[in-house]
Amino acid sequence: MLSEASNGEALLRRAETRRRWSLAMPALIVIALFSILPLAVMVVYSFLTPGTYGNVVWQFSLDGWFSVVFERDLFDDTLGLADAHLSILGRSALLALATTGLTMLFGLPTAWFIATRPVATRAYWMFLITVPFWTNLLVRTIAIQEVIRADGTINRLLLGLGVIDAPIQMMFTNGAVLLGMTYVYLPLMVLPVYAAIEKFDFRLAEAAYDLHASRFYCLRRVIFPLIRPGIVAGSILVFIPALGAYVTPRLMGGGRAMMWGNLIDLQFGQGRNWPLGAALSVSLTLLVMIALVLSVRRFAGGGRSDV
Amino acid sequence: MLEIKSLSKTFGAGVAAYHALRSVDVTVAEGEFFTLLGPSGCGKTTLLRLIAGFEQPTGGQLVLDGQDIAAIPPSRRPVNTVFQSYALFPHMTVAQNVAFGLEARGTAPGDVARRVDEMLQLVQMDHLRDRKSAALSGGQQQRVALARALAPRPRILLLDEPLSALDLKLRKEMQAELKRLQREMGLTFIFVTHDQDEALTMSDRIAVMEGGRLQQVATPRDLYDHPANRFVAGFIGETNFLPGRAAEGQLRLDGFAPVALAEAKAVNGAVTVMIRPEHIIVGREAPDCVQTSGQIDELVFFGTDTHVKLTLPGGASLTARAQNSLHSATDLNPGQTVPLSLPYDALRILPDEAAHAV
Amino acid sequence: MSKRKFSVRHVPGAAPIAIVTFVALYAPVLILIANAFNAGPVIGRWEGFSGRWFVAAIGNDAFRNAALNSLIVAALAALISTSLATMAALAITRGRRLRGEGGIFVVLNQPLLVPEIVLAIALMIVLAQIKQATGYHGLGYLIVAHSTFCIPFAFMPIRARLEGMDLTLETAAMDLYAGRFYTFRRVTLPLLAPGILAGFMLAFVVSLDNVVVSSFVKSPGQETLPTYLMGELRRNLSSEIYAISALLLFASVTVVAASWLITRRKP
Repeated sequence: MLSEASNGEALLRRAETRRRWSLAMPALIVIALFSILPLAVMVVYSFLTPGTYGNVVWQFSLDGWFSVVFERDLFDDTLGLADAHLSILGRSALLALATTGLTMLFGLPTAWFIATRPVATRAYWMFLITVPFWTNLLVRTIAIQEVIRADGTINRLLLGLGVIDAPIQMMFTNGAVLLGMTYVYLPLMVLPVYAAIEKFDFRLAEAAYDLHASRFYCLRRVIFPLIRPGIVAGSILVFIPALGAYVTPRLMGGGRAMMWGNLIDLQFGQGRNWPLGAALSVSLTLLVMIALVLSVRRFAGGGRSDV
Repeated sequence: MLEIKSLSKTFGAGVAAYHALRSVDVTVAEGEFFTLLGPSGCGKTTLLRLIAGFEQPTGGQLVLDGQDIAAIPPSRRPVNTVFQSYALFPHMTVAQNVAFGLEARGTAPGDVARRVDEMLQLVQMDHLRDRKSAALSGGQQQRVALARALAPRPRILLLDEPLSALDLKLRKEMQAELKRLQREMGLTFIFVTHDQDEALTMSDRIAVMEGGRLQQVATPRDLYDHPANRFVAGFIGETNFLPGRAAEGQLRLDGFAPVALAEAKAVNGAVTVMIRPEHIIVGREAPDCVQTSGQIDELVFFGTDTHVKLTLPGGASLTARAQNSLHSATDLNPGQTVPLSLPYDALRILPDEAAHAV
Repeated sequence: MSKRKFSVRHVPGAAPIAIVTFVALYAPVLILIANAFNAGPVIGRWEGFSGRWFVAAIGNDAFRNAALNSLIVAALAALISTSLATMAALAITRGRRLRGEGGIFVVLNQPLLVPEIVLAIALMIVLAQIKQATGYHGLGYLIVAHSTFCIPFAFMPIRARLEGMDLTLETAAMDLYAGRFYTFRRVTLPLLAPGILAGFMLAFVVSLDNVVVSSFVKSPGQETLPTYLMGELRRNLSSEIYAISALLLFASVTVVAASWLITRRKP
């Protein structure tokens, strides 16, 4: 009797576990087949030999990985592309960092402003931030491009006012890419920072002032440490897509201010070096994941991790 | 009607095993207001969830009307529950909530409508029938939860601390109302609470639980006057415990002359003796009493009576209650030594269980 | 008396920067929309207000095809990803902790952790093999690819909704004679509905807006609205391109606004 009853319970529990796994399975299979498997193929391709007209030859080679960093003299003394690679990789990292910094510069005050509005109006201010977040990235890039292009709004305005005689060339520079990325990724900074500030208990700030803290001291010692998880989350959300950005640098930087993502595209296209492209892809993915793990670990130690 | 036979429930296994219920035996009679009382973690909620079918027993039987229901899923057991959090469906109106159980069973629509009307009138919630349940006050939610559980005419209604979320005044009202409903419908209630006053005022019988075991099952009066052990005596009401020895029908409180007591015939050796504070006579000597004296340490005024904290000559502490009539109790002062009388028939001998002596 | 009451919430400079941010966020988009209503074809040379470029865009077969493809892909991808995400959310947010729950969670979010260009090219390589093997070149590839990266987006609001849901409600339904299926249909699903709807709409918008994966996965001659727009950009910018952009903008804003209104509504 006794063992029979507990047996029944174990059976029930096992059935329940099976049922739940089978519920999760379809989603897991789809992601495994169409996201994880392609990535695995990419890893394999990075160790193969390039085919003459693109694609790969099934022959093991480390050249793909080698040429991410090094140049190699082939038959003659023509210069390899490695310098160009490295400058593009370096630019990607710097532009992604600069984008993170700029979105912080504008995003933190904005998040603070929204979080300190009356409760009833906060949702509307946040709506103004979420709309650009969910609207087409391509269209938003076209919009910011319109402002600074040679025949764009700023140049037309300055020409019309007689301030300048010839249009200022702002497009296809690092600055243009930076502006574009800051513009499109700004909402990603505001959202988590706002969530953190909104949860901040302002009585703590009052307590700090009561204990003779100056405004700056209170900000540094009380407010900032408590909203830091939100800032870290925002930085990850901006840095990761910025590092692998493709559309915005392509439109704003063209061939002159290329980024990592565009370099990958180039290797699979005109470059006809799929293993190099694959190696660049895998290294970018690894970098993104490392950045993610590191920051998650850091902000797990940063107190509240509920953002 | 409901026979619970050596029912046990263990969560986890091996060293991590937690014995929530250890071989509980009790029978609940038809039409009874039966209360499970105990501190949190005593197993009362587990027992209720086993009866409802939300948990499977590890061992034992649950026999309802002669049929073992342990293997029947909750959706087919003829018992319904009023949850502590009410668990009203927030997306449904009051009437839809009450109709839910009837509809789930496939009751004909006309019968459902009639029963819902009847139930809503019973709990006086007819005027709010189309209100969404989230828009109700705590007391109103309580009434709807009650109507919802009663609508399918359960054989037993289970109530899991249903009044704990209400404020004191509302709780008193709902206690009276629940008792009235139960009496009028003649329905069996199994009521879980940790509040001894609630249990004493409402129940026909109370099962006191502790450590997954039933400590005593008795009427409120019996529980108060004749607690089975030190735990029950201490959990229900206020009590004084005095050490003593019993032998050959004689009880000898430490430091006093032996007294012949009928109760002492059954025991031999070290015992704990219990006496309720209100039974101690303060300030005078009375017949058929153990006579002693005590020094007053503290007086706490409680309106109808005054709690007198005393130290006996042997060093033991004692609390007595002196009724505040117009003329008495005013002459007591801290530091004063007063005569005390402990009536023989107020002394209760408790078995000196190792588990409770510690 | 000081002019301004002291407030711990006031930080000097926050409000002006916030206003600048809001203006900077919306001005370019508004300029773009304004230019789309130019009667003339050349941007910046204002020839009067007109909706003719919207009419021209909608009258254009290539645009209409791309729009139709976008809608089909977005609708089906949202439907598939929302169904899968709902099932997965039901599996891992209810009841006792499942062994391997953390792993399921990571896999469900995996498409978000990979740079989009990498996922796009990786999918292109794998799907090219399938295209060659089967000879099928239809919309199926786009639908499958979009369904995959939409799963984490659909999952987020559904999971949030489920986690806020009281498990006792389902216990109560069972207590009231409801079987597993009846409980799901009458209690779980209605309470979950706003989350599922929000998930569906987010997935729809994410699919509608996608350009990178679509560019690499689409078969030759196939276009979605964003890839069509991307192709048009190679030519000179024109009022018509801005009109198409404005239409795309309008579509996503409509869906986002609708989903915002739905999630704000109390259960």
